[in-house]
Amino acid sequence: MYGRKGYQLVKDFASGEKGQLKPFNSKLFDETIEECDQNHHLIQSLIRKMQQEGLDVQNNRNADHYGALIHHLSLIRNKRCLMAYVYNRAEIVRDLAWRVGLELLDLPSDIQGKLTTLEKDYFKNHSVALKSYMGKVGIELNVDMVPPKDPYIKVRILDDIDEGIVLSDKTTNFARHSMHFLKRTDAEPYIARGQMKELTD
Amino acid sequence: MASNSEEGESSADYETMMSTSDVELLKRAWRNEKAAPEILQYEGALVQRAKEQIELVEETIDDYVENGIDPLVVSLYQMDLDRTQFLLRSYLRVRLLKIEKFMFHNLKSEEAERQLSEQEKVFATRCADDLAKHFEESVLLKLPENYQSVLKQSLISEVDDMVPQPHLDTFVVCKSKNFVSLNLYEEGESPETVEMERGDLYFIRYKIVKGAIESGQIDLI
Repeated sequence: MYGRKGYQLVKDFASGEKGQLKPFNSKLFDETIEECDQNHHLIQSLIRKMQQEGLDVQNNRNADHYGALIHHLSLIRNKRCLMAYVYNRAEIVRDLAWRVGLELLDLPSDIQGKLTTLEKDYFKNHSVALKSYMGKVGIELNVDMVPPKDPYIKVRILDDIDEGIVLSDKTTNFARHSMHFLKRTDAEPYIARGQMKELTD
Repeated sequence: MASNSEEGESSADYETMMSTSDVELLKRAWRNEKAAPEILQYEGALVQRAKEQIELVEETIDDYVENGIDPLVVSLYQMDLDRTQFLLRSYLRVRLLKIEKFMFHNLKSEEAERQLSEQEKVFATRCADDLAKHFEESVLLKLPENYQSVLKQSLISEVDDMVPQPHLDTFVVCKSKNFVSLNLYEEGESPETVEMERGDLYFIRYKIVKGAIESGQIDLI
């Protein structure tokens, strides 16, 4: 059935958990593109046929006209599905830039593995746009994502953080599983990357 | 009775004074922005004042720390500062998220573009360019020639029919600050109106209260 491939593609996206990426379904994606090409060829051959019969393509309403119309509609439907697939994935990619970090290397490797090369490029470009906006406004916007209740929070270190962490008011040894009482703004980037966990009572 | 009304007046004075402080104004702008389906007018002057005040408090706190003022007092100031900073960041952030969501619409519609600050316009343009490039490379260049537009389904579409737009028919919760009377329907459809008293809470379509929000008579919550 025409248009079904696109529908399956969108369904593939929708079946994933909300806000979570699945690997790019390039098989289905390419098949959908192929169907678009088929549709297009058939439209052209139908139009050619009408022209050879000497009919007015614009105004004639014969079987071939409606045949071409069906192919046109199928093509449009597939296009919309393809675009929706890419668009919704791009939305998640942007969300990652906000929530996790603006550098591609900040992203956990399993997420990086699910992105296509084009999506990685898009991530980089979008991060640059965000950074340049923040630079011009002079305010960092990707910190402070939840309303502050207390300026300090308790955290547990989940990962070996060997690089020196710069805190605004103190430095300590951040061994794995150690617990600390930190400024929320200092701890937030590490929590986003899954290296620390906030402990709540 | 006389003393009652006097009390009422002075508390109203106090209310108006409190509700016009910059933090309150920022809170209001932030709430409206968060609840409205479309992007609202950028509060440039307010953001500027908030930024200056934040800097001022930051300096004050630094001074306090240097002069060895009671850490409790310092941390109270710090908490207040954190809250204001959150408000400001969240306000700018909500706007950017809306720009990301409706980038093509924002650049296409003059009305939406007017609402943006200069930096936001730059951001919106870059965003739209990046996404259009991403679309082209992933999908559009692989499609037949007549179907390669980002904004149109195909060459024969007369209008841009692929641009997501904010849903102005969405329901919002709002509170009126004064007595307002609003048309429930668009002009010519039906003359039915809704009247809101001061402090009334309404659950209503955004489109109906849009004008009153822009003029500041109604707040979204």
